[in-house]
Formats: sequence, structure tokens, C-alpha cells
Amino acid sequence: MENIRNFSIIAHIDHGKSTLADRFIQLCGMVTDRQFHDQLLDSMDIERERGITIKSQAICLPYRAKNGKDYILNLVDTPGHVDFSYEVSRALASCEGALLLVDAAQGIEAQTLANLYLAMENNLEVIPVINKIDLPSADPEGVALQIEEDLGLDADHIQFCSAKTGKGVDTVLEAVVNLLPPPTGDPEKPLEALIFDAFYDPFRGTIISCRLFEGRIKAGDTILFMSNNAAYRVEEVGFFRLTREPQKELSAGQVGYIIAGIKTITDTRPGDTITLKDRPCAKPLPGFQEIKQVVFSSIYPVSTDDYETLATAIEKLTLNDASLSFQKDSSTALGFGFRCGFLGLLHLEVVQERLEREFDLSLILTVPSVNYKIFLKDGTMKEVDNPAYYPDPTTIERIEEPFIKATILIPERYMGVVMTLCMERRGENTHHHYPMPGRIEFTCEVPLAEIIYDFYDRLKSVTQGYGSFDYDLLDYRESDLVKLDILVNGERVDALSQLVHRNNARARGLHACEKLKEEIPRQMFKIAIQAAVGGNIIGRETISALRKDVLAKCYGGDISRKRKLLEKQKAGKKRMKTVGNVEIPQSAFLAVLKSDQ
Amino acid sequence: MSPESLPTGFTPASGEESPGLYLHIPFCKSRCAYCSFNSYACQSPPAAYLTALASQIRHWADQQWCRERTFATLFIGGGTPTIYGGNELAELVGLCLASFNFTEDAEITVEANPNTVTMPMLTSLRRTGVNRLSLGVQAFSDRLLGALGRSHTKGEACAAIKAARKGGFTNINLDLMYGLPGQRATDWRESLDQALAFGPEHLACYELTIEEETPFARLVEKGALTLPGEEEVLAMAALTHDLLAQAGLPRYEISNYAASGNQCRHNLNYWRNGSYLGLGAGAVSCLSGFRFSTVEEPEAFAALVQKGELPLSEGECLSLAARFRESVVMGLRMIEGISLARLQRRFGLTPAGYYGKMLEELQEQGLIVLASDSLRLTEAGLPVANQVLSRLV
Repeated sequence: MENIRNFSIIAHIDHGKSTLADRFIQLCGMVTDRQFHDQLLDSMDIERERGITIKSQAICLPYRAKNGKDYILNLVDTPGHVDFSYEVSRALASCEGALLLVDAAQGIEAQTLANLYLAMENNLEVIPVINKIDLPSADPEGVALQIEEDLGLDADHIQFCSAKTGKGVDTVLEAVVNLLPPPTGDPEKPLEALIFDAFYDPFRGTIISCRLFEGRIKAGDTILFMSNNAAYRVEEVGFFRLTREPQKELSAGQVGYIIAGIKTITDTRPGDTITLKDRPCAKPLPGFQEIKQVVFSSIYPVSTDDYETLATAIEKLTLNDASLSFQKDSSTALGFGFRCGFLGLLHLEVVQERLEREFDLSLILTVPSVNYKIFLKDGTMKEVDNPAYYPDPTTIERIEEPFIKATILIPERYMGVVMTLCMERRGENTHHHYPMPGRIEFTCEVPLAEIIYDFYDRLKSVTQGYGSFDYDLLDYRESDLVKLDILVNGERVDALSQLVHRNNARARGLHACEKLKEEIPRQMFKIAIQAAVGGNIIGRETISALRKDVLAKCYGGDISRKRKLLEKQKAGKKRMKTVGNVEIPQSAFLAVLKSDQ
Repeated sequence: MSPESLPTGFTPASGEESPGLYLHIPFCKSRCAYCSFNSYACQSPPAAYLTALASQIRHWADQQWCRERTFATLFIGGGTPTIYGGNELAELVGLCLASFNFTEDAEITVEANPNTVTMPMLTSLRRTGVNRLSLGVQAFSDRLLGALGRSHTKGEACAAIKAARKGGFTNINLDLMYGLPGQRATDWRESLDQALAFGPEHLACYELTIEEETPFARLVEKGALTLPGEEEVLAMAALTHDLLAQAGLPRYEISNYAASGNQCRHNLNYWRNGSYLGLGAGAVSCLSGFRFSTVEEPEAFAALVQKGELPLSEGECLSLAARFRESVVMGLRMIEGISLARLQRRFGLTPAGYYGKMLEELQEQGLIVLASDSLRLTEAGLPVANQVLSRLV
């Protein structure tokens, strides 16, 4: 156990986490240059394309230190986005130490702080690492000073490196060996293993990523999940190298995987404790939480024929993503679909992209909503996360909506625009202080509904990319909400209905009409787009009728090509949803969600 | 593709009509700014290309599929066929007539650019049997011709038409374009009047289409090309139909107008989705439903032919249902529509039976008419033909 180090790399998004992980893997001789590709641990296309990590991943690195001893370094890669902070906290809980990666040019950002607090809550030893020292705009000394003075971390422990060029990466690995403590634990005690993630393998079932704190586990043991008492017989245990490497057993201090023929991933919840059925531990490891979805949206197939495919696809996806919840839903405009719950807006986008990409589906997502508490005059309370179930306004006593505490870290000069943005988004109780010279940490209590309406994009835009953002759920507060409906040629499109604050209704309604006008192609008749609250029309746009759409020429030489053009046009129509007699493209449903930049 | 892999022994499909023969000359003096055709700019076209083309004519004339058939039309198009000299073209036409079976009254067309025709050339073509001349006039305005990047002038166009008449051509087509940058409805009217003054038997009036990867497409992308608005273009289209109908040249296809009996039979065969043999770089053939294209670069074409290989690039053979749909889509380009009897004969299918409810919807929307013997687009359906065709394809 002396020569094991379990650690994570934590950082603000884009500070170079995946690149540093890649360097470690190369330096430890895990891959030949031929096998190497960027973002080795990010196996999903979407992770590589967006440059973000969605799933936690672990890799076991064999390392011979400068002192001549061989070490096993278990690197637990964590998701890098606020939506996934619970997953990050569970990954951190499985480590003794963390590398806090800070961009030498950008300095400390909101997620640097948020992740540092998470690491501290989990009692991790933190080594600050200043990355990207090769950049012309790098200011390693300045950032080092920030780390020392503002974060109160030991200046002697700060490492400098460039993950991109490889400079200094070896000394970072030495620091992992020398500064981070080895795990503790007793292999002879009853098993205590922490689940920090799970994957689904179509041949083997669920692959559980876990950290053993006490005890040992081997094939043939019967394990027990402490949160739900599900029991399974272990088929295989092992380490994560670049592929899975089976081992005879895993024991206290180690990070590895367990395969136990588990078909339902909902049984394996990150943060849960695994123990042995015939020799259970006294109590579960601390910190387990039921996953709570905060953003809800309905997913419909563009073509109603695809409903079955969508059902199968969502089921398969939830095998790999226990944080996604779903139940059947239906809409007059869109037919049958699923109401899904997500951890946040990024999670929603990721799920949509994976469904479309991995299962070749065309989807329509309804306007994302939060979960409202609606108190009725008859004294009952109804939780509503779908505008379709918004009760008759005359029966409503009051409505409460979830609030969050937004923490925004910005260079001083953006104070004004960020303040304005937060006020526009119904922010209240703002505070700000200067955690370091020239930087402001701005906190504000904002309705979650305002955040899921492209707040993050707007923040990036008004701060020219310098603003960073993190949030925590606070509580429910009373609010004055109305249901905004969109009508196309007089017909209500239920999938476009949204619950909005009364003061925002008109602006949102007009905006939705404008966007729809841009996105809905002209058709053979005039189309009226209206926004309405109750019976009142509060906005209107008109799309004029299409009058000309014809190919001037078509002769023998281009019959095939022109036929293919028409076939493409036909396929485009298939991706549209017919509401009344109007064809609405998928993009129109998405455009309504985005505000103008 | 090797010669062996090409089906040669087709039994004539039921309901098949006389095929057409097309020869492609892929050269022009200069490329026009809107053109996306397979053509290459050159001052004097290579003789090797004609040698290769002649060799292809002889090769195909000897194939069973061709030997079993009598061709009804020959069309030499481009590019600019008249970039070659009169004797060379006459030789090419003569070779075709000698090698393939043609009907007595075969329609034989040569496309020409106004500044490449000469009196001797026209007489020589006429003497070999060419009985239709198609002139790429495009506009009767030096300003608009310049904007299009055409190499000829209004004066050259008028001279060419007069020369063609004098040379004995009694069936002349003029290609004209509308919706041009800087063109107003009044300009268009002037072009039409000028054209009609020559009493052409046939007019092809094309709305300018911005094709990908042309100089015009790049200008549009940069916002440097101002095209007339939709209303103006619609007005030009309406003007065309009215004026030409009055002049005795009724519209018979989306962009084509002709005096009675002077419809282009070669093109009608395309719109009826008939069989045709296309020879030359980039040409496409469709033999009883088997469609294949020739390599596009003239040099590659000539080189392959010289090596004794078939210069083909791609082939497709659609299912019966797909061919039926394609025939409907092509046929609806004609004002008279598609003959139901013809469809029945060739495919054993009827539009009503095949499309069912969709056809009823289109009828209800007033876009098509299903008569007892034909299916056609309505007056309202024609300007938005793609909306209909993209549902039927």
C-alpha cells in the first residue's frame, strides 16, 4: 500500500486536465506513440469534440520514481463541468490527493475554487500545478502568488509545467509520489468500496469503477449495494490500464473495477458503498446522495415511427448514465415521447447529442423547465416540471421556484455587465468581494429557470470569455409565473409552451416569434406565429407564402443529380414536424431556447 | 469498369420508345460566370478528343443494345460544339448517321455560341443533315452579356441568327436567361421582343440559378452580386408565358417554349425518362433503365479510349418503383404532364394507386391535376414545382 497513490486532477474547464493526463500516460510508457491520440481518457466522440470530460475514468499507471522504487499511480479523471459536481465529489472521495491545475495565463477561475473546496471537504492533500507555462501570455509567478495568498496553499509545493510540450511533467509525477500520502486501510476488515462511476458494456453488463477503503474482493464473492441492498455475485475484478486487466483480487487502497453481471445500472449509484453480503461493514461510507435532476425537458422523435427506437435508445443510454431519468410523455403536437430529467443544461445537450449520434435519431426537445411547486387554493401542492400540467391559473394560490446561488469570478472590469446580466435574470441579494487583486467574486441568488435559459452562453459573451461560473441549489421561493403559449396558424404548439416570470413574458414571447420566423421555412401559405398568455396575444410575426421553388433546367446529363436534390428536400421535410398544416423544423424548437447574443 | 461488366444484351423493355444520341463537346472559349457544366476553357480544342469521340461512336454503334434500336434524335451539345470547325463537326455528324440506325425524320441538333458560327460552317452542317440549331444567346444586351461573362456581343448574336436562316435552318432555338444581376423586367421584355423579331421556332428561357462553385456563387457569398427580388423574377416569368403564348410559342416545359410541332424531341425524350446514349467526357447514358456516366476530364476520357477501355465513371440501376417515381418527377416538368398510359405500359403502375393519399392532398392543394389520361402540374403548381416533386420523388 506504501507504493500506491490515488489522485485526481481538478481544474477549471480548459485548463488542460485531459492533456496533462495524456502526458502522464505517455510518460509512464502506457502507450506507444503510434497508439497515442489526444484526450486518451475521453472515449466518447462528443467528449473529444467538445474538449470536455463527461464520464469519470480511472487509469492505473505503473511508475518508477527517481528514488528507484516502483509505484502504482491511480489517476481518477473527473468530469469538468458544474452540472456534474456530485460526480466530481465522488471521484475525489476515492482519492488521497489532488492536483489543482491552474492555467498560467488565466489564473484562478470559479471552478478552480469550487473544485478546491470539494477537495478540501474530502480531506485531500492538494498539490497546485501551474500549467501552460509555455504560453506567451503566461504569468506563472503571478499565478503562484495568487495560489499562495488567495488560496492559502503551500508555495513550496507549487509545480510548474506545460502539459502541451511536456516540460516539467516528470517533476509533477515526482511530486505525486513524494507529496501525496499513500492510502490507508486494512485488507482484513470487512469490505468497504466506494462506487465513483459505472459504465455499461453490452457483453459484460455494468462495469463498476470503485475505490476500496477496507477489505478485499475477488471473483466469486457476493457483493451488496448498501443503498438498496441489491446483491450480486462477482464475476471479475481488475485494474484499468488502457483496457481492463483482470486481477485475482482487489484490496484496501486500490482503485479498480468490478463486474458482477449487473444489467440495471440504476442499482449502481455513484457514492454508494459496496460491501460483502456474508461479512458486511458496519455502516456505509459518508457522502452518498440520491441523484437529483434539476432540468426537465421532453424528448420526441421527429418521425413518430421512431418512437420505439427512441425508447430503446433512452434505455440503453441510461445504462451508462444513471443520472438521466425518464418517463413516458405525450404531446398533441409531437405525439409520444419521454419526459427526461437532467443534471443541468450541458447534461441535456450531451444526452441529445448522444441519442442523435449513437442511435441515428432526429429529435425534438421541448423548452427545458425546472421543477415548480404549485400551491393550490384547495390547500394541496403540486410539483410541475412540465408546462403541459400547469393547472388552471384561477385555482393557484402561489407558485414557488428553485433558486440557486451563482458564484461568478470575473476580472474587475466586467463587474457592470455581469451585474446587469444577473439583474436581467431576476437576481437578488448580490454580494461581491475581491478574493485577489483585480478579480471579483460575485455571488447572486438567481432562479434556476433563468440559468437554464442560456445564462452560461450569455455570461461568456458579456465577459468576452473571462467570466467563470459555478452554482449551488439554494431553496424554493415564491414567484409570479405565467404560462407562455406559442400558436402557429392559430394552433397551440404545446411543445413550445413555457413557464416564465410575468415580467419576462412579453420579451420572451416576442423573441420566440422572431426566432420561429427565422427558422420555419416559407411554405405554400402564409403562416402566423403568435405568443399568448392566457387569452391575450402578446406578440406576432408572419411568414409570407412561398411563391417560387423550381429547378430551371433538367436534362439527361443531370437527371440523377436533380433527383438527388429533390430526395434531399424530401428528407429535409421528414425531419420536420407537422403542426396543423405547418412544417416546423427541429432547429426551430431549439432556437426558441437561445436568447440573442 | 471493364467492357465485360456492362450489360449489352438488354431485351427491349416493354413500352420503350426510340432512344436519343447525345455527343458532348466539353470546351468553350471562356467559362461564363454562372456555368457549372462540364466544360473547359481553351482557344483551339484538341483533335485527340474528336478522335476518341469517334472511336466511342464506332464502339457503341456495334453494341447489341444500339444495333437493335433506331434512334430518333441526335444532339451535339457542350460546352461549345462549334468551337470545332464546320468540317470536323460535319464529319462527326456524318459518322453518327452512318454508324447508328436513325429514323427518316430524325431531329439533329447542334448547339452553338453566336461568335463561333460562320456561314460556311452553317451550310456544311445543314448539308450533312443537321436540321436544328440551338444558339446560346442568353441576352440581347451587351451590358447583361458582360455581367454574365459571355464571350459574345448582341451584334454577334443577331448576325448568327441571320446567318443560320440564310444557311437554311428552319428550326432554330434561342437560349435566353432572366433573373440576371442588374436586369429589370423591362430589360427582359426587350430581350424577348428582340428574340421574337427573328421569328424563332423554339425558345428556352431559363431563370438564372446560382450553382455551387461558380464565380457567381462566390460573389453571392460575398454579398457582391445583387439579383432581382422574388417579385421581380416572378413578374419576368409571368411576362414570358404571356408574351410567348401570344407570339405562337406556347410553353411546353418549365423553361421551354415552341411553335406547334417544333418541341425539342431530344429533350422530350429526357423528360419522358426514355433511353439515351451519351458519348463524350461527362456525358450520361441511360439504356433501358441502366444509367451510367462518363469520366469528366476530356484528357482522361481520350486516354482511356486510346487504351481500349470504357471511359465510364459511375453507374446506377434504380428499382422499378424508383424509376417510376423518377419518371413522374421528370414528366411533371412538361406542361401537358405525364401520360398515364405510358406509365402503365412501362411500369404497370398508376400514380393514384402508387401515391394514394399524398396525391389527393396535392390535388386538394390545387398543385396537380389528375385527368383521365394524364397527371400534370397546375398553373399554381408550376412555380413551386419542387414542393410537389420533392414529395413524389
